[in-house]
Amino acid sequence: MRGVITLVVLLVAMAVLADSAMFIVDEREQVVVTQLGEPVDTIREPGLNYKIPFIQQLHIFDDRLLYSDAEPAQIYTQDKKNLIVDNYARWRIVDPLQFLVSVQSVAQAQSRLDDIIYSAIREELGQRTLVEIVSTHRQAIMDTVTVRSRASAISLGIEILDVRIKRADLPRENKANVFDRMKAERSRTAKEYRAEGEEAATKIRAETDLDVTRLTSEAFQNAQLTRGEGDAEALRIYAEAFQQDPKFYEFVRTLEAYEKTLTTGTTIVLPPSSDFFKYLGKYRSR
Amino acid sequence: MQEYQFPNRPNFDLKFNPKMVYAALAALFLLWGASGIYVVQPAEMAVVFRFGKAVAQASPGLHYHFPTPIEDVEIESVSEVKRLEIGFRTISASPTPRYQKVAAEAVMLTGDENIADVELIVQYRIHDVENYFFKVREQSKAIHDVAEAALRQVIGQHTIDEALTEGKLQIQEEIQIQIQGVLDLYEMGVRIEQAKLQTVSVPQEVDFAFKDVASAREDRERLRNEAEAYQNDIIPRTRGEAEKMLREAEAYKVERVKRSQGDADRFLEVLKEYRKAKDVTETRLFLETMEKVLPGMQKFIVDTDGKGGLLNVLQMQKPSVGGN
Repeated sequence: MRGVITLVVLLVAMAVLADSAMFIVDEREQVVVTQLGEPVDTIREPGLNYKIPFIQQLHIFDDRLLYSDAEPAQIYTQDKKNLIVDNYARWRIVDPLQFLVSVQSVAQAQSRLDDIIYSAIREELGQRTLVEIVSTHRQAIMDTVTVRSRASAISLGIEILDVRIKRADLPRENKANVFDRMKAERSRTAKEYRAEGEEAATKIRAETDLDVTRLTSEAFQNAQLTRGEGDAEALRIYAEAFQQDPKFYEFVRTLEAYEKTLTTGTTIVLPPSSDFFKYLGKYRSR
Repeated sequence: MQEYQFPNRPNFDLKFNPKMVYAALAALFLLWGASGIYVVQPAEMAVVFRFGKAVAQASPGLHYHFPTPIEDVEIESVSEVKRLEIGFRTISASPTPRYQKVAAEAVMLTGDENIADVELIVQYRIHDVENYFFKVREQSKAIHDVAEAALRQVIGQHTIDEALTEGKLQIQEEIQIQIQGVLDLYEMGVRIEQAKLQTVSVPQEVDFAFKDVASAREDRERLRNEAEAYQNDIIPRTRGEAEKMLREAEAYKVERVKRSQGDADRFLEVLKEYRKAKDVTETRLFLETMEKVLPGMQKFIVDTDGKGGLLNVLQMQKPSVGGN
């Protein structure tokens, strides 16, 4: 009976002692042990550890990458433009003792870091133009800010891994200007497209008209040439034939002309002395 | 106990038996020991901690670890593709998906100082579960932050036209590389499977102007097509006309030549006969022509040797028309 009670009491006592004397450091944690407020040990490796109960205290810190995400802030660029910048930083506690001494808690650290980063950002962005921040030098700017903030934060036992600009936007009241400019740019492009269309169409039509004129006049030229050849050939043939007896040709052709011109209804006055009537006269005079 | 007695106290011998205590302790110990049995589902990975230190990984199946606080286990789904959304949130999934716009994330400046409205989906997978557990706190927030920064950084390096049209694939690729690079710096143990631009548009305020550019581009094509249609219509017709002119000219030539040859042949034939009897033929031809011509004509035979012969003829003609 007494043995049983002793066993139970012993177990409970062991558990209480174990709980206050032993502690587990997780893979994701690091611990500073203080003795009556005086730091005595820093444990960064995970595993089972011991401490003097009640006299030594534990200060457990995260060993992972932490972040601070400050409120978006308004800054002025070098070309006097207003930007709303939202940045974040990823950092970790690399010296827990230093961290404990200088900032005590993560919440404290956050606000210190916000100040450090904001001033680095403002300083750097103030020397840059809007285009550099948004477009061309974004990475370089973030690198510079990271390096500068890192140098300031190391005294807090903090290593800043990177500072990144999450957003860099124009304030609402500046957007209207951008929209106006965008509209103007687009309308310029639209006009250009339509004018290009007109240009192409006019060109094609003019070329077409030119082609039409060229085709018809070339055809006319060739046709006239052909006709001329025909005329010349005909002339040659006529001349060759008629050359054989020009007098006869004249005679025959005159007769032909008579036939054509002296048509029905034509009035003709003939003297009796004409060749045609030469026998008539003879007859009369007989 | 001595002063108060329950009326219906069960008749049960409560004699304190050390064996019962041992048995209870043993049972508790067994239960405690059994609490170390755990199951890893397919597509999951488990990390076993011994006194806080990661000592092993366990794949899907039935496993055992020493009970808490000696050992502990954490299980995470790894082969599942996780997804995060920038610029919008899915409120309810299919069959009737509903989305909510997050304008603060979606509206951003482009490299040519335009404003674009961009939505992005990032799909990722955990490939190193220990790093995923140990390196970064609030992993999904970290990935979201990194993706948002990367999206803006890359869009900031492109013009709005690239983002709206032909540059999309390249932008996606650059975003993916950028996110992966930063996550590797954080040693997150995460692999980006895909960064996909969901929609890229312009804010409502300028939407019409952008659409008008598209219709202007169509107008350009339409004008060109109309002109080409005109060209295609008129050129073949003209070629036909030209061909017709040439053929007509050739026909004229043929006609002229053949006719002249005919005339010439006829003349030569006649000439051949004429030469045989010149005078007779001449007379005959003359008379034949006269015979043909004179019958149809009104003839006056007037002796023109005297004066006013022709006048007489005209006077003769008048009464014959008017009188009678």
